[in-house]
Amino acid sequence: MLIDQCAYSNRWRAVTPAAKGIFALAGFVSAFAAGTPAAALCIALLMSATTIFGAGIPLARFVRAACVPFGFFLLGSVSLACSVEYHGGDFSIVWLPNGPAPVARVVARSCAALASLLFFALTTPMIDQIALFRRLKIPETLIEIMVLCYRMLFVFSATLRDVHTAQDARLGYATPKLALRSMGSMAAGLTVQIWRRAQALHLGAMSRNGEGPFRFLAPVFINSRRDVGFAIAAGALVLSLSCL
Amino acid sequence: MHITEGWLPVEHAIAWSLASVPFVAYGIRVVRKKIQNKPEYRLLLGVAAAFTFVLSALKLPSVTGSCSHPTGTGLGALLFGPVAMAPVGAVVLLFQALLLAHGGLTTLGANIFSMAIVGPFAAAAVFRIARRLRASVAVSVFLAASLADWLTYVTTSVQLALAFPDPDFVSSFLKFAGIFAITQIPLAVSEGLLTVMIFNALARFNPVELREMNLLDEIRKAENGEVRA
Repeated sequence: MLIDQCAYSNRWRAVTPAAKGIFALAGFVSAFAAGTPAAALCIALLMSATTIFGAGIPLARFVRAACVPFGFFLLGSVSLACSVEYHGGDFSIVWLPNGPAPVARVVARSCAALASLLFFALTTPMIDQIALFRRLKIPETLIEIMVLCYRMLFVFSATLRDVHTAQDARLGYATPKLALRSMGSMAAGLTVQIWRRAQALHLGAMSRNGEGPFRFLAPVFINSRRDVGFAIAAGALVLSLSCL
Repeated sequence: MHITEGWLPVEHAIAWSLASVPFVAYGIRVVRKKIQNKPEYRLLLGVAAAFTFVLSALKLPSVTGSCSHPTGTGLGALLFGPVAMAPVGAVVLLFQALLLAHGGLTTLGANIFSMAIVGPFAAAAVFRIARRLRASVAVSVFLAASLADWLTYVTTSVQLALAFPDPDFVSSFLKFAGIFAITQIPLAVSEGLLTVMIFNALARFNPVELREMNLLDEIRKAENGEVRA
C-alpha cells in the first residue's frame, strides 16, 4: 500500500502525530475558509510542498497517491459544469450556467483539502494515527475494530492476491461470467477465514487473559512539545493564506 | 463512488456528520453489549472490517465494460446485521480515506451515511420484505445486495444535489443520479450476482460457519443446504 509505505519511511516519522494532525487541521480549515480559488490553490501548493520537500515524500509517489482522487475531481467538475434544465417537456443541458467561478471554487477547495489529507496520511503511520485517536477519546470499541482491521488487512490482501493468481492461472477470469464465479468463491473462502481467524485470535487472547481492551506500547516522541509549537506556527501561516 | 475530499460545502459536511453520529453511536452501543455477552464478537468485527476493506479492492466486471469495486454494504448487512455495519463501515471508510485517499475526512460523515447506514439498512429491509413475499433466498440476497447498492448511490446523488442545487434540487438530483446510473445500474446487478455467488459457495462448502451468521435461519430452510442462483 503506497500511502502506508510512505508513512513509515518519511523524514518526519519521528514527529509526534499531534503536530502533524494540527498542521493538517489548519490545512482543512484554510481550504474551507479560502476566499478565492487562487488562495485555495496556494494552500494546496503549500501543503503539497511541505509533504514533498519537508517530509521527503518522493514526487512520483505523491503524484501516484494523488492521481486517483484527482481523477474524481475532473469527473466531478464535469458534472458540476453542466446543468440540466427542463422547458416544456424537453430536457436541455447547459454548460457553465453561472460561469466557471463556482466550479473553480469547489475544485480549488477540494485540491487544498486533498493536499491536507495527503500530508497527514503520507507522513503518519496508521499505528500513530490510532494512538492519536485514542488520546482524542474515540470510543474504545471503534479503536479495537481499527487495530484489528489494520493488522488483518495485510493478511487478507496477501491471501486475496494469492487466490486471485491461482484462479487467473486456471483462466478463472477469462470471461465476465467466469470472473463473477471466481470472485464469488474467493470472497466466500475469505468470509470463512474471517470466522476461523477470529476464533483463533479469540482463543489466543483468552489463553493470555486478554479480555480487556487492546493495549500497545505507544511510541515515544521526544520533541513533541517543540513539534507541536512548530505545527501551531506553521498552521497559523497556512490559515493566514486563506485570507488572501 | 465516494464523495471526494473537500467536495461538499462545510455546512453540508457538518450536517451529514451530525446525521451519521447517532447511528454510529447506537451501533457502538449495540456492539459493546454484544461483546459483553459474546467476547469473540469483538475479534469477529475487527476481522470483518479488514475483510470489507479488502473486498472493496476487488475489481468488479461490469456489463458496460467498465469496472468498479463492490460496496460490500449488502453482504455486510446480511452477515453481521445493519446496526453493526455502521461502526464497521465508519472504520472501513476512515481507512479508505487514510490509506487509499479514497473518499475523505471532511466528507466522511456523508459517506458513512450513504454507505454504512442507508445501504446496510436498505439491504436488511429488502431481504426481509423479499422473504415475506416468499422469494427464494437467492432472489432475496440478489435484491438486497443490488438495491442496497442502488440506494447508496441514490443517497449520494441526494447529498450532491442538496450541496449543488443547480438550478434546483430536482434537476440537480436527476443529473447526478443519471450520471451514476450509467455505471451503477449494471454494477449493482454485478454486485447482486456476486453476493449470490458468495452465499452459494458458503452454503455448499461451509455450512458450519453459516450457523454463526445472521442468515442461519434462512439458509437452514434451504433443504439441500445450497442456495439456488
